[in-house]
Amino acid sequence: MQSSPQTRDDEWSTLLVKVGVSRDRVAFEKLFNHFAPLIKGFQFSRGGQSSAPEAADELVQEVMFRVWRKAPSFDPTVSSASTWVFTIMRNCRIDALRRNSRQPDTDDSLEVDDIWDERFDNQPLVYLQQSRVQITVEAGLSSLPPEQSHVIEKAYMEGKSHSEISAELGLPLGTVKSRVRLALKKLQSTLVR
Amino acid sequence: MIQHHPDNNMLLEYASGSLNWAHSLVVSAHLQLCPKCAAQLKLLNSIGGALLESAVPPANHTDDTESAFSRLMGRIDTNENVVDRVVEDAKNPSPSREPVFSSLPPVVKKLMQRNPVLKWRRLSKGLREARLKTGQSRHEVAFHRIAPGNKVAEHDHRGKEITMVLYGSFSDADGVYSRGDFLVREPGEVHRPTATLDQECLCLSVVEAPVALTGFLGKLVNPFLSIKPQ
Repeated sequence: MQSSPQTRDDEWSTLLVKVGVSRDRVAFEKLFNHFAPLIKGFQFSRGGQSSAPEAADELVQEVMFRVWRKAPSFDPTVSSASTWVFTIMRNCRIDALRRNSRQPDTDDSLEVDDIWDERFDNQPLVYLQQSRVQITVEAGLSSLPPEQSHVIEKAYMEGKSHSEISAELGLPLGTVKSRVRLALKKLQSTLVR
Repeated sequence: MIQHHPDNNMLLEYASGSLNWAHSLVVSAHLQLCPKCAAQLKLLNSIGGALLESAVPPANHTDDTESAFSRLMGRIDTNENVVDRVVEDAKNPSPSREPVFSSLPPVVKKLMQRNPVLKWRRLSKGLREARLKTGQSRHEVAFHRIAPGNKVAEHDHRGKEITMVLYGSFSDADGVYSRGDFLVREPGEVHRPTATLDQECLCLSVVEAPVALTGFLGKLVNPFLSIKPQ
């Protein structure tokens, strides 16, 4: 039986809540089986040296470890399951980059989760079904012109800054910036409709 | 009402994790005060979620899922009783009860806990600076305090400077900036900030490179002259 994307995302949210509330290992294994290949796929798209299969396996271990630990703070009214896992994966990547670059005085300074703090929420209480937002954004992304979705993917999946993208594609920085802005404008307009 | 925000490009770099550490810190402080940008961040994060959900798993992935899962559960079981490091607020009381520090965004409070002793230096009449350790060396991060009504010497910027107002307000030729306002000065822009008359102003600022003075007496009072990455 084929379920719609939205009920699928609701399913992941429900499983995450179970993991958070009752430390449900069966639910956690289902989440693992779903997200592990996706995390690898996301990581592999980076290309180059960072795409070693072992590195992707380690990333999966680290991300899912944190998913288990942080699950009690997951709130399905604030974000969808995949968006929440994405933010954990992003923070893991930033952590790994920092550890590799051996910054001085990192021990007593701020941590990644202090600066990218997803628990902090100052939004007015507006009920928005997050899994629906998620599906709308997915559909919006697939309808972007290729030159716009290309820079968005490079930014998120390869973790590149605008100036790195501009250097790599041989485009002026202003062009990269305006493609990003146009893409966001389109995605935003699909959400308010 | 916050009038000045980081642009969408900077927010996207923050959300996707490519924005540098020091700039991410100020963006984070702004997000915690600005519901409008926080709402935008939600959209930006959900782009990441959508891309993750539609990622194509590699054909040649090595680790078989079942053994990877049992490896993970092994790690979880050994760590089950380990509690995440919690910085106890009681042990690190806010270093100051002064009004300027009374309602800081959480990330700035944490920054102050990691910098329990602020060393204020007088840069010019009515202007003081305290540098902050943030765990990076590319940018100079500091608090600046401007006394009520005080004018800062005119200066321009060799490197990009980001300033966020945490308390009070100041103005320059372009406008008035209050709590939460986020300003980016590109290299070469000249400005002369003045604190408003009724109260002191506290800002968090991040500079890329030393700042040059343009005024006649500039060198004597250049508040930023000694800034260099530590």
